[in-house]
Amino acid sequence: MPGTAVPPSEGKGIMKSKGSAIMVSLVFVLLLVAAVGPLSAAWPPSAPQATPLAQQSLRPYVNVFIAYAIALLAVLGWVISIGRRLARLERRLGE
Amino acid sequence: MSEYLGQVRAIVWKDLILEFRTRERVAAMGAFAVLAAVLFNYAIDRTAVRPQTIASGLIWMTIVFGGLLGIGRTFHLEHEDGALQGVLMTSAPKDAIFLGKTLANFLLLYLVAIIVVAVFTLFFGLDLGPRLDLLAAVIALGALGFVALGTLFSAVSSGTRMGETLLPILVFPLLLPMVVYGTQATGRILAARPAAEVTANLRMLTAFALVAMATGAGLFRYVVEE
Amino acid sequence: MSLRGLRLTGTTLAAVGLLLMLTVYGLSFFWVPTEVAQGVIQRIFYVHVPAAWVAFMAFGLVALTSAMYLWLRDERLDRAALSAAEGGMVFATVVITTGPLWARVAWGTYWTWEPRLTLTLLLWFVYLGYFLVRGSAENPERGKRFAAVVGIVGALDIPLIHLSVLWFRSLHPKPVVAKPEGPTLPAPMLITLLLGLLAFTLVFLGLFLLRYTLQTLRDAADARDRRATV
Repeated sequence: MPGTAVPPSEGKGIMKSKGSAIMVSLVFVLLLVAAVGPLSAAWPPSAPQATPLAQQSLRPYVNVFIAYAIALLAVLGWVISIGRRLARLERRLGE
Repeated sequence: MSEYLGQVRAIVWKDLILEFRTRERVAAMGAFAVLAAVLFNYAIDRTAVRPQTIASGLIWMTIVFGGLLGIGRTFHLEHEDGALQGVLMTSAPKDAIFLGKTLANFLLLYLVAIIVVAVFTLFFGLDLGPRLDLLAAVIALGALGFVALGTLFSAVSSGTRMGETLLPILVFPLLLPMVVYGTQATGRILAARPAAEVTANLRMLTAFALVAMATGAGLFRYVVEE
Repeated sequence: MSLRGLRLTGTTLAAVGLLLMLTVYGLSFFWVPTEVAQGVIQRIFYVHVPAAWVAFMAFGLVALTSAMYLWLRDERLDRAALSAAEGGMVFATVVITTGPLWARVAWGTYWTWEPRLTLTLLLWFVYLGYFLVRGSAENPERGKRFAAVVGIVGALDIPLIHLSVLWFRSLHPKPVVAKPEGPTLPAPMLITLLLGLLAFTLVFLGLFLLRYTLQTLRDAADARDRRATV
């Protein structure tokens, strides 16, 4: 049962300084993958468009890209936020 | 049961007497009603829209904003003077205290609502239609749900540093049902529509009021305990 | 489960969820066909709907743990409520930002008062209220109870709000728009959507567990500091 007395962890937290560097690089790679995916599919269009509006502009593609980016960034943002707070806490508990 | 009701009545009486003596909240809310109506007159373009058609919305929003002003002060006195402890230490169950406070607020708000309707009728030459009794019922039911939520969250906000400024954030999202059903019913009454068109709204307003009162009565004890 | 176990489970779930999410991204671009009526913009559906599902599911969790906290006074329940609230707010933010992106292209305007989107906007504000009362309470212990009350009242009122928004909409009909899901969902779309739901749920659960361990550690650190000053 998670009690109130928690021994300081044996040096293996979610984030240490080296760990955070790896995390950040991973994030960067993931962002690249996420960016390349939609972009490569956006041109040329994979299926004929039914509405004339869509034929004329890039707007739908841009908005879809932004939306997908928002979702990914929100999740990664939460991950990083939790990670940083955990790291800070571990330092604090280690003292 | 009669003891319970007696306790509720005692609290209602206490708050009303206090209010009667100082007249602070009534004055503030009443002045707000009049001044808001004045500003509205200059805010709307009477050549583009007839006040009669949007009166329902204006009236309800004025009641909401003005009401929140007064409801926010529900526990102000107790909080300042530490009187809340005294009230809580009485044998009155917490939900009785809540009901008492809510009822007192309701009477206060209803008075203000009457002022708002009267002022708007005067300023905008409104025709209130043939069914004033229905109008009274709609306003009463809407106000009841409103004050129940407002009283509960007023107790919450007086325990925070942000105080009354927190109240709109907490209350407005939850107030949507009252706004939707209340303004629609009022609009129809002002347009002299048949009563049958208002019954569904009255039912929903009643449901809203009951849920708000029950929730408030049930949760109030958790808010005020030390 | 021990704190270490929770952390491991949380990290695993989150990692799996994230990978699944990227898979869904790939599927939605390379595999799923374009929807006929709305065109490319309909693809927002695959992040918008799962995010909405998580935002509301998280709030249900907040309400449930809050009610149980008020009843049992177990700190773990409060920590769970807080963690769920944080996640729920993240995903609610995704919903209300991706919604206008969709609306702008699909219906020509950024905000259409679409009932579900409006409900999510209000849900976002209930989440905001949850954190504001918690953070600005003069007494932290009371703050937890305040927040629990906000969670419970919010959960009870949300169905009523939903009804009233639908009611309002039914009387003020907008031009008929294509249902976001389309009349019937062809198999690739359905599969992608379900995978998206699974992905976002796993991500939420994993990060929820991690946030929970964070809160547990924080409470432990605070308790230790209090003992040290005694």
